[in-house]
Amino acid sequence: MDLTVEATLESEIVSKKHPRAEDFISTLKVFVKNRIALAGLIIVVIYAIIAILDWVYPAYLGIKSGFDLSDALVTFHMSTYLGKPILYPSPITGSLIPFTIGVSYGVPPYGSGAIITLIPPTLHGPTNTPGWWWIFGSTAYNLPIFPVMLASLKWDLTYTVVIVLIGAAIGTIVGTFAGFYGGATDEAIMRVTDIFFSIPFLVLAMAILYVMGVSINNVLLALIIIWWPIYARLTRGQALSVKSNKFVEAATASGSSRIRTMFVHILPNVLAPVFVQISLDLGTVIALFATLDFLGFHYTSIYLPELGNMITWGDQTRYLFATPMNWWPFLIPALFLVIFTIAVNLLGDGLRDVLDPKLRR
Amino acid sequence: MKIRYFIIRRLVLMVPTLIGLTLFTFVLLYSLELTHETQLVSQYINPHSKDIAAQLRKAKIALGLNLSFPQQYILFLERLVNGTWGFFPTQFPMFGGLPVLEGIEKSLPNTVQLAFFATLLSVILSIPIGTYIGARPNSVSDNVGRVFSLVGYAFPVFVLGILLQLLFSRAGVVPRLIGVTGLPIGGTMPTFTSPPSWFRAGTTYPTHIPILDGMLNGDFSFSWGAFIYVILPVLTITYGLLAGLLRFIRSGMVDSLSQEYVKTARSKGVPESWVIRTHVRRNAMIPAITVMVLAFATLLGGVVVVEDIFSYHGMGLLALNSVLDFAPYGVLSTTFFFGIIIVIANLVVDVIYALLDPRIRY
Amino acid sequence: MVEAELSKSEQHDELAKEIQENNVVVKNLKTYFFTSKGIVRAIENLSLSIRRGEVYGLVGESGSGKSVTATSIIDLIPDPPGRVLDGDVYINGFNIYSDLDKLVRVKIKSPTNVKVKHYKTALRRHNKILSSIRGKWVSMIFQEPFLSMNPVLTIGFQLTEPILLHNLTDLISSLVRLETFSKKNALKVAEAILGEPDYQKRSNIVDQFILDYSLYSVKKYIKQTAENISDPEQMATEFVNIAQTAKLGLKVEKYARMRDYFRLSDRVDDLQLKLVSIEGEIKRIRRRIQELSASSPAGSDELRKMRNYLDTRTSQSEKETLQIKEEIKRAKEQMRRVYPALYFKRILSKRVRDKNIRMAAEKRAIEFLELVNIPAPEAIMNSYPHELSGGMLQRSMIAMALSSSPKVLIADEPTTALDVTTQAQILNLINRVIDKRRGQSVLFITHDLAVIAEMCDRVGVMYGGNLVEEAPLEKLFKNAKHPYTIGLMNSIPRHDVKVDKAARLESIPGSVPNLIDPPTGCRFHPRCKFRMDICSEKKPALVEIEPEHKVACFLYSDEVEESVELEE
Repeated sequence: MDLTVEATLESEIVSKKHPRAEDFISTLKVFVKNRIALAGLIIVVIYAIIAILDWVYPAYLGIKSGFDLSDALVTFHMSTYLGKPILYPSPITGSLIPFTIGVSYGVPPYGSGAIITLIPPTLHGPTNTPGWWWIFGSTAYNLPIFPVMLASLKWDLTYTVVIVLIGAAIGTIVGTFAGFYGGATDEAIMRVTDIFFSIPFLVLAMAILYVMGVSINNVLLALIIIWWPIYARLTRGQALSVKSNKFVEAATASGSSRIRTMFVHILPNVLAPVFVQISLDLGTVIALFATLDFLGFHYTSIYLPELGNMITWGDQTRYLFATPMNWWPFLIPALFLVIFTIAVNLLGDGLRDVLDPKLRR
Repeated sequence: MKIRYFIIRRLVLMVPTLIGLTLFTFVLLYSLELTHETQLVSQYINPHSKDIAAQLRKAKIALGLNLSFPQQYILFLERLVNGTWGFFPTQFPMFGGLPVLEGIEKSLPNTVQLAFFATLLSVILSIPIGTYIGARPNSVSDNVGRVFSLVGYAFPVFVLGILLQLLFSRAGVVPRLIGVTGLPIGGTMPTFTSPPSWFRAGTTYPTHIPILDGMLNGDFSFSWGAFIYVILPVLTITYGLLAGLLRFIRSGMVDSLSQEYVKTARSKGVPESWVIRTHVRRNAMIPAITVMVLAFATLLGGVVVVEDIFSYHGMGLLALNSVLDFAPYGVLSTTFFFGIIIVIANLVVDVIYALLDPRIRY
Repeated sequence: MVEAELSKSEQHDELAKEIQENNVVVKNLKTYFFTSKGIVRAIENLSLSIRRGEVYGLVGESGSGKSVTATSIIDLIPDPPGRVLDGDVYINGFNIYSDLDKLVRVKIKSPTNVKVKHYKTALRRHNKILSSIRGKWVSMIFQEPFLSMNPVLTIGFQLTEPILLHNLTDLISSLVRLETFSKKNALKVAEAILGEPDYQKRSNIVDQFILDYSLYSVKKYIKQTAENISDPEQMATEFVNIAQTAKLGLKVEKYARMRDYFRLSDRVDDLQLKLVSIEGEIKRIRRRIQELSASSPAGSDELRKMRNYLDTRTSQSEKETLQIKEEIKRAKEQMRRVYPALYFKRILSKRVRDKNIRMAAEKRAIEFLELVNIPAPEAIMNSYPHELSGGMLQRSMIAMALSSSPKVLIADEPTTALDVTTQAQILNLINRVIDKRRGQSVLFITHDLAVIAEMCDRVGVMYGGNLVEEAPLEKLFKNAKHPYTIGLMNSIPRHDVKVDKAARLESIPGSVPNLIDPPTGCRFHPRCKFRMDICSEKKPALVEIEPEHKVACFLYSDEVEESVELEE
């Protein structure tokens, strides 16, 4: 017999506050008490603020004119700017600094081992170290890391959230449907998810992308196709256990239609683990998104500001000049990616602790 | 005796999944036919011949592209069983113009090497460490373990791989600081100026797994040479896998520790270490085992990235090259092959599960 | 030996007498749970004692702290969130909480923010000591047999565990005895059997003989022989013949060494317990002195006596401690000499991996399964918990709890989760298997008064973490005093009390108090019909109003009149 639970139940009976409000408050308390999860939440919120700010007013953090990396939907080709000086505004003073990009550009062959042939830089030497002017330094050809990174966060976060949310929505509805209706529907849906689970995500994404052709919309689509089965399986299990509860029977007995029962009585009760999974998946998807770009699936162009792309670029900067001490072009974007994945994992763990009352102290 | 029937039953249950897998691959192929027909067919013609149009038509019929969907599917299955699984295009690196099956045959042993070491290392480390930290929830060691596994869980494989390269490869940071040679930055095995005699003779080359072959031929320096190339990739994969396993074993332990039967065991006067090892750990391993498959799938996905970073010629690099160098049959075959591996892993895990948990009826 | 020591202090300390006479004595137990909603004061200042050979029942609504009491007695409160904060629990004369202050430090900043610091070394030592007490002196049966058995281990494995842990010496000795069984032994046994005229006693001797010589496999023949043959010489010959078939052909010398080793190891365990109990005793005397100096004027006779006693006891105990430590050292030395391999191995693990010993343990476990009326016990041994029914599992739980012949059996609602028909069987079984003559006692916890009436000798009624009434069974049922007990009695149908047809069963209004924020004074007063002003101000103490009958209520207390007088 669980004594704590018993005691809590009693206290709920006796307490005069509205039980749900009190429960919410205590849930919040538990979450806030978990300092680590709170830290995760704060980091995620900071990332989100950067992304939203960059959407709303790109010039505020990003780049004002000319080298507009924030607008990836305009197919941007580096070769357009070949040999021409570009005015790049300093993020601090706002004054325009000219610099030149010279690229002899071709689609990279397979793997990252291959090196893009580039014309030696003309302006500032290979790279700029992080400092007061170049906040995070620059990569080869003086691609400034700081503004590009801000733009990257925006794109990465936006796509990740879109992928996870749409995947979760589809998966949750399908899974609830399967779990609630059962029978042949359930069996068929579960067999389909089996197939998705029997191929590694990355390989599956590669194959689907290959068939559909690489473009940013297809990446979106491919990752959604891959992601919904996770939620379908998760919610199906939940729906099965919720279904056996008495209140479902009561709802049916009081004349609730099946669809209504599913959406009103079952769905809200399967959502808790879905939220946990979403928060954990944000990290996985952002990493997968970056990984695909890193592997050479350049989405719109290779200059979509994207963390995976920046890491590749930084890594190649290292190769180009054979200076392993040039750590920042690689390490700074990598750090930003890792911090985000860690933060969402912390958040997910914290959420799980909160939503799983068994672990509550 | 009983377990044999269980395995047979599981094998039978595998059939629908396998059929689904072939169907899925075939749907991919079929959509490829719709979108990339010319490129698909042009791999089967002689580009230097005069009448390309006629050749294209011929190749189309030979490939069965004119058939209906179910007919093509049956043809596809037939080829799967006794075919070459298609060909690589001529400009494909390493396996240009060769059958895909041969490419897989050559690449698989290298990946087996990686996967073996990674799985072994992570399982060997995760069980005792997971038991230790899981038995002491919220202690210092537990927190260290949690941070370790969280970071491992959150670290994208490619970042970790490059970081390890930066740190430990030749000309990396650590070897420079302490003045040692460091590990190779990439590659599958050492390039020889004069390869060992057995290495060239095909017959004494039994498994194609470099390290194992070296050991079987008594050439341990060869094995060691190949092993050095494996270290960094294995570490890269292991970290993620270990992190996942640790996390699940730990939570299994914590969950199991709060169960009534642990109380019973303690009430019998069973010493704490015994409680942990016999009563708790076995129950904790059961949920951990079920996620092993997921971890294994992640490992195989990670293999693609790791092999790319370390230019290690295995299944992952084959799959990636197939995608990037437009080898349609390469893409389909590798995807299918990864699928089969995971289905088999699933079976193995199910059997282990059944052995561990008597409640599973077999 | 612990008792002997305590007897010296008898004239100074009435508690010592109580400890000596009872199997379990609980004094001022206080157990709290620190939850996110606040501190649950699950038990506060609970004292009770369980005599030798008695079935003590604890009854109360759910949430009244019965189970917490039971788990506190063997220190199995889940930590976090729970913690025994204060009090003493003497099991067989040994205070398991004597080192309580060394184990944890609790800092209560606010009800929802409590820091519990654990001292690991002390806790490890404490757990080690307790693991030698649990199972050996106390064992427990739980409510949910399905949850209480480990699902992945066979019943046999779980049953042999306590035997292998606590009866190892016994087990090996019986193996050695069997191997060296000779005509001489047989003759002695045969004479003992034939010399006993009483049938029951005679069969007891036979049982003991089977147990001592581990002759389970040929039990049937032994019994037949013992019944049918009347000549000692002939019987002895027959016994030897039968034993010959049961012999395993072991290397006697090895097992004899092993037996000696474990005898020494048992001795070391005992000595270590003694060490701790000496420490605890001194501490207890100190505390008693503190109490006395707080309550009685300085320089009182009792206080002086107590101080003197402390002085003598301290100097004595120092000497004793040294002696014991020396003895432990010697025993360990001897152990190493007797069986070096085992000595070093057992430092790493307490497990014994010996096929023959395991087999003997299994045979003994089968004996116990038979005792609890399980059909085909050999088959049950190899099955897993999920393959058995709840009743069967509960039976094997009982067998498991009894297999190391503990002094006290704690039964925590053992029948609540079972079918009604099985319930009766299990109750009968517990009644039957408990060896009251040997002083085995039971703490029986239930919310069912009918079960209490069936099983118990003495009953304690719990409410809100306190004992509110304690009386022998008949007194309680005939003459319940506490309003809560009366309420409980009235809420069940009774055949012996005539009720108007119109009148329904009474129920107690309200519900069990929230122990995070319990009512002031008497915890029952918000629901009490006879409530007075004082009830919400002061907490009534448990007072003996008749011999053996204690009540915690101001209705029967002198205090009320005193306070009334004061007001006047």
